[in-house]
Amino acid sequence: MAVSTGLGGEQYDYDIVRKFTIMALVWGVLGMFAGVYIASELAWPMLNFDIPEITFGRLRPVHTTLVIFGFGGSALFATSYYVVQRTCQTRLWNSGLARFTFWGWQIAVGSAALSYMLGYTQAREYAEMVWPIDILIAVTWVAYLLIYVQTLRQRSQPHIYVANWFFLAFILATALLHIFNNMAVPVSMFSLESYSLHSGVQDAMTQWWYGHNAVGFFLTAAFLGMMYYFVPKQVGRPVYSYRLSIIHFWALIFLYMWVGAHHLHWTALPDWTSTLAATFSILLLLPSWGGMINGIMTLSGAWDKLRTDPVIRFLIVSLSFYGMSTFEGPLMSLKSVNALSHYTDWTIGHVHSGALGWVAMISFGSIYHLVPRLWNTKMYSLKAIYLHFWLATIGIVLYISAMWVAGIGQGMMLRGFDQFGNLAYTFIETVSFLHKPYFVRAVGGALFVMGIMIMAWNVFMTVRQSKREEAELEAKIAAKMAQAS
Amino acid sequence: MKHESIETNSGLLIVLTLIVISIGGLVEIVPLYFIDDTIETVKVADKDTIRPYTPLELRGRDIYQREGCYLCHSQMIRPFRDEALRYGHYSLAAESQYDHPFQWGSKRTGPDLARVGGKYSNEWHVQHLREPRSVVPESIMPNYPWLLENKLAYKDIRSRMRALKMVGVPYSETQAEYEANIERFGQEVADMLDVEQAETNLLTQANRANYDGNNSHVTEMDALVAYLQMLGTLVDFTKFDEGYFAQFR
Amino acid sequence: MADFFAWFTHMENTKPLALVLFFVTFAAIVIYVFSGKKRKKRLESYKNIPLQDDDEQDKKIREESDQ
Repeated sequence: MAVSTGLGGEQYDYDIVRKFTIMALVWGVLGMFAGVYIASELAWPMLNFDIPEITFGRLRPVHTTLVIFGFGGSALFATSYYVVQRTCQTRLWNSGLARFTFWGWQIAVGSAALSYMLGYTQAREYAEMVWPIDILIAVTWVAYLLIYVQTLRQRSQPHIYVANWFFLAFILATALLHIFNNMAVPVSMFSLESYSLHSGVQDAMTQWWYGHNAVGFFLTAAFLGMMYYFVPKQVGRPVYSYRLSIIHFWALIFLYMWVGAHHLHWTALPDWTSTLAATFSILLLLPSWGGMINGIMTLSGAWDKLRTDPVIRFLIVSLSFYGMSTFEGPLMSLKSVNALSHYTDWTIGHVHSGALGWVAMISFGSIYHLVPRLWNTKMYSLKAIYLHFWLATIGIVLYISAMWVAGIGQGMMLRGFDQFGNLAYTFIETVSFLHKPYFVRAVGGALFVMGIMIMAWNVFMTVRQSKREEAELEAKIAAKMAQAS
Repeated sequence: MKHESIETNSGLLIVLTLIVISIGGLVEIVPLYFIDDTIETVKVADKDTIRPYTPLELRGRDIYQREGCYLCHSQMIRPFRDEALRYGHYSLAAESQYDHPFQWGSKRTGPDLARVGGKYSNEWHVQHLREPRSVVPESIMPNYPWLLENKLAYKDIRSRMRALKMVGVPYSETQAEYEANIERFGQEVADMLDVEQAETNLLTQANRANYDGNNSHVTEMDALVAYLQMLGTLVDFTKFDEGYFAQFR
Repeated sequence: MADFFAWFTHMENTKPLALVLFFVTFAAIVIYVFSGKKRKKRLESYKNIPLQDDDEQDKKIREESDQ
């Protein structure tokens, strides 16, 4: 058994992990700020300022792309590159190619955001990137897969740890989804615009097969990989049950791929497809909760650490939100519930309880775990971590409560009839009703952004502190050397 | 085979994972291309009434996508009583069969637009797009004043139609294709689907209807309103028996 | 016996068939994973992998937080 001694930074490629970690925070701040801005546009439409580039319709994909692919994607690159090295006890295969994935990914995310503001989009939710960016992503992704597999192959540990299975499934599934959902014919070789290969029903099914598995694999399976490494590592105890993790893995990756059509209940999609999707959505509750229990029970016998370690708080709260949103999801996939919830803000709230509560919180926890190890120092401010935790938690609670009120309220109003059998409300009356929840949601989002800004500042100060410590150490050594000679 | 052999062999892990993640998509997506009932047959007097977009409507649709309208407006009416009263007959799969990409949407921050065509006048649309709150005070939609100012770019209209033709939309380039379109849609529609005539057709439609009330040049507003005004108007539901479309569901 | 095989040829029977197949596969995996003392010991031993790779920084950070 290879057990490393000495500094990890020498044995492993930490530089690439540092790069992605910094960019995760940069995109996180920008993307979440864009989110608060578009939330405010819905509460106060004058904020659109008649400027085409910042109207809601163009900024919304900027928000989703920056947070999912910029923040989430960079956090996943960082943690997967870190975890695969630490659990295989080997250095990352081909550092040069790893740097290519870094630049490829950052350029893709940045140019995607700019292109939406300029009006270039494929008009497919979460796959809005125009075709040249799609190709760049595909090339980057193949390099990522190659690095990951080659690193696994050169491992000095015979067993492949479970976190790596989740990361690997995420890389494979994302490649599959990205390629099939983005097939399109460009208007010309010199045009950024294109028309999708599929149309109508088939296009809708393909898009939501992609859309939901972006959630299932990008935002769930991969972050479960994070969970299976960082929770045990931070707590200092092995994961609750390794056998449960095996079942968790196979059941989760099998079931997720069936459920996309629950986004298309009651539409022109044939009934058999959406019924099938609803059935699998219910089944999906089991592996989701299996995974959540596995994560939370890792803490059993060490619950007191929740009080003393803010990083563990981030990790455990993220698992609680994961449990909540994976319960809410199957509920909303029931056709009767979906009839009310679909097209309303309930869906937006559900996505954010997953995206803020689960994805962002586990990323924060993992990054707080990583930063001291990557820069060989300790976090600049522990108090700031506590502050971040509370701002984020209160922000999420405000956000999702506001969206429950908005979504369920609007759904009920839209299906209301008066005693004569006429519609009780016009559509615009429901829009007026939404103003207050939209205001609360913007406040919740703003708190969350303040949290990540404090985190970015804390990490920045930590890095500066590490540089100073390093300089001091070098000066000390130099002085000793001078004395000795 | 022991699970151990998967855990210690990255190649096997990859192959098994790929198999497991492919099943769901294959079962749900592939049949949609082969089951005939998926898309309804909508014929009146033996002609397809659902047709591809005219060049002007197509450019309008491009602008609809560019501005991200689909993020707040759905184009998919569900078979519920309140939606029937509010928006009209539920949407058919056939009605979006030429939509590359589909624009069903996922969120109604504004109302559904699947059958908005013909509900309001051109003037109303122009005023509403320019300044929504001047006609609907509680609206939270952004203003789109630049649609009236921007001249419509239509020089590449033929490349656009050719690209769409490649993905299966029956625009015609040859005489044989043109005649097939006459057979399928009738003379008037077939003329609009002719790629070579696209620029002329676009200008003629914009000038004749004069959607934006200004005939000095064709604006993006002309195209967008032309698109909005045809949405959901291609099927005359009075021509079909009540239960006709239910058989496809 | 012929009737039995004919049952598989009907399209409407694919749903129960798929259900049985998937469920049996699932049950088999669960039984396999959760049975046997030796298998338990072997599988559960892997969960220590992240903790075995404890380097200087990990130790330093743990000591600091324990104070």
